[in-house]
Amino acid sequence: MKKKRSALTASPRVADQKYPTAARRASSATAGRPVAEVSVPSVRPTAVAGGSVDLSVDLGHGLVLPNPILVASGTFGYGIEYGEVVDVDRLGGICCKGTTLKARIGNPPPRVTETPAGMLNSIGLQNPGVDAVIQKYAETWASWRVPVIVNVAGESVHDYVEVARRLDGVPGVAAIELNISCPNVGAGGLQFAIDAGAAAEVTAAVRRATDLPLLVKLSPNVADIRPIARAIEDAGADALTAINTLSGIALAPGRGRPMLGNIYGGLSGPAVKPVALRIVYEAAQAVRIPVIGIGGVTELADVLDFLAVGAVAVQVGTAIFADPTLPVRVVDELAEACGRRGLTSYRDLIGSALPKKAGRPSSKGVEYRP
Amino acid sequence: MRLAAAELVESREILPGQWLQAYHAPGLASGSRAGQFVHVRPGDFSGMILRRPFSLNTTDAATGIVTIHFRVIGRGTDWFTRLRPGDSIDLLGPLGRPFEVDPRSQHLLLIAGGLGMAGVRMLADEAIRDGRRVTLLFGAASAREVYPSTLLPDEVEYIVATDDGSLGHHGYVTDLVPEYEAWADQAFACGPQPMLAALARIAAGRRDRLGVAKLGRKRGAGKTDPVGSPAARRKAFLQVSMEQNMGCAVGACLGCVVMSTSGTPQRVCREGPVFAAEEIAWDDGW
Repeated sequence: MKKKRSALTASPRVADQKYPTAARRASSATAGRPVAEVSVPSVRPTAVAGGSVDLSVDLGHGLVLPNPILVASGTFGYGIEYGEVVDVDRLGGICCKGTTLKARIGNPPPRVTETPAGMLNSIGLQNPGVDAVIQKYAETWASWRVPVIVNVAGESVHDYVEVARRLDGVPGVAAIELNISCPNVGAGGLQFAIDAGAAAEVTAAVRRATDLPLLVKLSPNVADIRPIARAIEDAGADALTAINTLSGIALAPGRGRPMLGNIYGGLSGPAVKPVALRIVYEAAQAVRIPVIGIGGVTELADVLDFLAVGAVAVQVGTAIFADPTLPVRVVDELAEACGRRGLTSYRDLIGSALPKKAGRPSSKGVEYRP
Repeated sequence: MRLAAAELVESREILPGQWLQAYHAPGLASGSRAGQFVHVRPGDFSGMILRRPFSLNTTDAATGIVTIHFRVIGRGTDWFTRLRPGDSIDLLGPLGRPFEVDPRSQHLLLIAGGLGMAGVRMLADEAIRDGRRVTLLFGAASAREVYPSTLLPDEVEYIVATDDGSLGHHGYVTDLVPEYEAWADQAFACGPQPMLAALARIAAGRRDRLGVAKLGRKRGAGKTDPVGSPAARRKAFLQVSMEQNMGCAVGACLGCVVMSTSGTPQRVCREGPVFAAEEIAWDDGW
């Protein structure tokens, strides 16, 4: 009996051999193209009312972003990984993977797992070290219009200072984001973020070491963010980023052990958004420098929420894994949303949900205060 | 690598809890190689925030059909089984690096453990298309989990082992390998990590017994290809397709690493999922 040929059983037939050469030629022709090669959905702006809206944001110290949508550290590699799927030059900024003084091999796998409306990760700051990062990527970064913000991590104040010193003046490095809040490494990381004195010390030391714009990323794993935010501001930071991941645990199937090789992981995704909103809400009222919101952004509505509680810009992180085109699409949607409301600048949206007596939060960087 | 919408054409539960689905995705069907995978987004966004990686099981450039083969292990895979023909999903791919077959290899030994069949299935098609002989050793827990031979090309010699002896060899699939290692020019495997580690030990021993590379062959003498390069992998007797929890699948998040013998974690999504067996630190180097 002749076998029924269905889509499932069909193997490529010999007659198909006419096609592979042409197919290969077609794929190699597109391989080197840097621009978006996306079948669905289209990422081009639809040239509606959003065209004349000012999306630029001045974070101070010379760091001006073309729009307030950045991609978060650890979710976008060094900017090159998504290749032709994402047109990086349409982003507001790229925060690269956490970079340390010496190379780190990171934590044992498994390193990631999905949790309800979120994910846990425990990469453990795997990276090739600051010198290798500069050597491998800085030239590419310098050729982009999008500002690249290098996320800096370390185990001691000396580590942070040394990395900052080496990044200082490197073409292609637009700013530094101090990662004092990584929950997945033993020494360093989180300990700087949970104590106002330590946070101020490392911020001040890096401030002295570099002229680069300096962002400091806050941890949600603290009782009260306000004194820490104020201490970091007083130590000379140009902007704050809030929040890093929340420390958590997931269990392996069978419940015989934790899921992740490092036991603990950092929770991100929509599950953390209410926490992030709360911390941005508090930090934006506590300091005069701009606050960048991050945590669970998956659509324009989330961006508008963060702006409403006082963020001047927003980072998209975990959602990129599901939809790499999301950040660029949100840029267009934000412009359209402003256009529909008759706003000439998205900055009019900032702080609408803050207490009226608190005054408007900073939407512009403060000049350097020595 | 590109994003594309793919329409479900056919979906079947071919084994208990194991599904085979055919999608219409012409770009993927013509531009992919055996060993590569796709990262698929579940359409239910109420809490499932990561894509799911699936090996490309078969591709057919003429019809634009790609198939995936998976076991229902959680909410994501369960969601895929409820798709109906005509439904559309979002595919990112092809991703990862493919199997590298030495042009001189005539006899290929494929070894699959359980769902590892999905990792090597497409290589059988490619090898037969290129006129190679293929023997496929397959291991499963019992007869009811044995991959149906009707879903394999007729030219493949198909040998089965079951843990409980209910079909074919009584024992592990790795027990069957020594019989074939002299015949095989190259071997390609996908399955549970202990199986791959056992195969790597066999392959290392084979190099000592049967390896001829250093016995007077002149071509390529003295030239060593960089570890992990396609040329180096092409020369390896055993290539394995690895599995790891995955985040982005493009190399950005560093979530899906395995440890290499060089002491540097390798990304399954980018340097893999196919590796030469000697690249992997099987005793875990962490």
